[in-house]
Amino acid sequence: MTYIKKYGIALPHFRISDKVLHPRLGREVLHAVCYADEDIITLAWQAAEKLGDEVDAVLFATTTPVFKGRYHASYLADLLGLPDGITALDVGTTHRAGTDALLLADALITGGKHGNVLVVASSISYPAIGKEVQTPFGHGAVAMILSKDKGIAQITHAASYSEAFAEEFVYKGGQVKYDARFAGTAGFLSNMKKVLAGLTPQGTSSLIINSAYVKLIFNALKKGGYDLEKQVAPDKLVPRFGFLGAAHGLLRLAFALENTPGISVLVDYNNGSNVITFDVAKNTAPVSSDSGNTTAIASYQDYLTLRKRGKFDGRGYESIEMFSSEMMQEREKSQFLRLKAFECKSCGTVYYLKAARCNNCKGTDFREKQLSKTGTVYTLTSEYYFPISFPPANMIVIDLDGGGRITVQQTDDMYQDEHTKISIGDKVKLVLRKMMENDKKPNYFWKCVKL
Amino acid sequence: MSKKRDIAIIGIGVTKFGELFHQSYDDLVREAALQAVADAGIDLDEIQAGWLSTAFPEIGVFKGRSGMDLVEPLNLYGIPVTRVSNFCASGADAIRNAANALAAGECDVAMALGVEKLRDRAPQDSIVKMMVELSHPFYQKGFTAAGTFAVYAKRMMHEYGVTNEDIASISVKNHYHGTLNEKAHHRIACSLEQVLGSPMVADPLTVMDSCPTTDGAACVIMVRAGDVDKSKHRPVFIDGIGLSVSTGWDLPFFDSKHDFLSFQATIDAAAMAYRQAGIEKPIDEIDLVEVHDCFSIVELLTYEDLGLCKRGEAKDMIRGKATRWGGEIPVNVSGGLLSCGHPVGATGVRMVVEVASHLRGTAGDRQVKGAKRGVTHNIGGPGAIASVIVLNNEN
Repeated sequence: MTYIKKYGIALPHFRISDKVLHPRLGREVLHAVCYADEDIITLAWQAAEKLGDEVDAVLFATTTPVFKGRYHASYLADLLGLPDGITALDVGTTHRAGTDALLLADALITGGKHGNVLVVASSISYPAIGKEVQTPFGHGAVAMILSKDKGIAQITHAASYSEAFAEEFVYKGGQVKYDARFAGTAGFLSNMKKVLAGLTPQGTSSLIINSAYVKLIFNALKKGGYDLEKQVAPDKLVPRFGFLGAAHGLLRLAFALENTPGISVLVDYNNGSNVITFDVAKNTAPVSSDSGNTTAIASYQDYLTLRKRGKFDGRGYESIEMFSSEMMQEREKSQFLRLKAFECKSCGTVYYLKAARCNNCKGTDFREKQLSKTGTVYTLTSEYYFPISFPPANMIVIDLDGGGRITVQQTDDMYQDEHTKISIGDKVKLVLRKMMENDKKPNYFWKCVKL
Repeated sequence: MSKKRDIAIIGIGVTKFGELFHQSYDDLVREAALQAVADAGIDLDEIQAGWLSTAFPEIGVFKGRSGMDLVEPLNLYGIPVTRVSNFCASGADAIRNAANALAAGECDVAMALGVEKLRDRAPQDSIVKMMVELSHPFYQKGFTAAGTFAVYAKRMMHEYGVTNEDIASISVKNHYHGTLNEKAHHRIACSLEQVLGSPMVADPLTVMDSCPTTDGAACVIMVRAGDVDKSKHRPVFIDGIGLSVSTGWDLPFFDSKHDFLSFQATIDAAAMAYRQAGIEKPIDEIDLVEVHDCFSIVELLTYEDLGLCKRGEAKDMIRGKATRWGGEIPVNVSGGLLSCGHPVGATGVRMVVEVASHLRGTAGDRQVKGAKRGVTHNIGGPGAIASVIVLNNEN
């Protein structure tokens, strides 16, 4: 049997209203939009970082990869400090990728070879410029640990119903999109017949259908004995965050884990369906989620700047080619990406940078010390001439709780107001972001946000 | 610990500091060197060894990567010449190395020359780019040169009640001094309001709290104190030289013990130099100081590090105008780096040339009257390295 042990959700700090994207055509809905230094890796890390390290496989689902020829799953495993040689696989192609990964995780566990599998779905896609209000886009990541050991929910049934018909896809670089009514009937309805044949309304608290075509099936559901009001879950997430692509199926599952007791069925439709029946023992909040504290993006221009689109009289972040030695990054990753520092064995002084001997007691023996990710601001400055989308760049010197000092940039500070202003003595938290906003090389490092 | 070396400066030369678009690196070397040689009243061929200070060849014009770049413009072949590189303290270190060689008897007449040609490139090709592109992928990304000192200002303000006005007053004072120095890059007096109102660079430091990007060269000719009869002008003696590397470029930002209130390197270098010079109460025994005011906050906290006042009292010195020309202990009467600019490798040598001219009594309009003993303070690698040199017009 497979259980969902725990889960985390990562949503970026910023929201943009449809009304801001288009004052006349926009509706009263929001989109979660990542900051200039976030990508699917940082969101995936944020969703997964607190789920623990007792994992023997990682599955990474996305349709918006940042790598080609490199596994996102193994990169994330490395960031999380998981053991070398762990099973790490990527899943992609359609928005079903998140639940594709869940099905694979279930198979790995029921197959008996793996005990705990981390499933992460992360997605960042943008609509074409000027077409934003026609797409319920949103950015975010969901991570879950599936386990053979008892957890907050049990997966009682998992199946996949393939479909040759896909209503919208890319063929050799070109976009193919069928008429919506044709796609709804030839694709969605046809597939749903197969799906519903295997389900019964009895005992189902919630039927979650992750598809924009969901209304087309309401009549059939009613005939099949479903109570549309009580049993068919509306998508309350799209108006708050947008449609999270490959992560949306898992996000809806996560919503049920938190809010819906009993047996739920998730039908994740896109070029076929994944059907996952799960029994929630006790509704449980995600281990990590930052969706409570958000900032509204004030203008379309700000949104474009975040997207790094158009010409800005600014600091030319695109022209900065950061020196990023692969050898250095590989050699020092445990120190820099996992925050492993050096603690003097005789006096306990903590050094983030390697030292031959202790500055305090001249001791020469050090042990590894995991730095904490919270601390207090010792001093700081705001850099007005640093290449960044929203200057100034705030540089913060932080004394970490439990010892050690680190100096990092502040992030999520697009609007530098009373909510983001940091002073000496303030508490801050470290978050993993891209060091430079350009996208030419992976250059992940720590930044901080005000607590 | 090092001891007094008994060295004298017999020749000094300095070019105009500024955006010298009409002069090359080699032109600057020639101008400063020939001035110093003429000032000493010796022939170029009497130079037996040389030390060349250029801090950042890679952000300038790739000149100064070795001692050869001193020899080639002067056709001064056949002698030992070494390039000295110790960040912004390279200039003072060239003088230290020359003094050591003289004391050791390797040569009898030595040249120490500092030169930097920064303005053959657009300004964005300087320190900012170096920090962002060339340093370690993770250390301090996001810091400009101003930022690495602004964090000291913020902590000084928090700890000691230093105000924006105190910091800006340093700039007002040094820009006033700059008007008296015909070789300064900027010769414009400014008001407190102008400094505070100029664009912010790294909070709380504004454009006018920051030294400009400048070309320039300075040169000194040195001999052992016993050989001063070679000198055409009144010789100036080196009473003490201290240089210390007391932290790293990165360490303060990653080590909780660092308090961002002082530069330990200055404290250590001053202790060495003062001990050699027999100075016990600097405020009473020194007549003028040239301080490394790359950003105005550095001058302020250096008052404390050089022992001119107690901890936390630097703000009172600037408020009381003690360090203005005519005050109790004039600091940066040349205009400092804020007015002269900071051709990196040249700065430490320029400071020695400046103090020497006061001790000779030839500093013109800005002459510190009756100056007998002066100090130069040259730092590098955001405070990691410091040099303190004590000069005296008597041995």
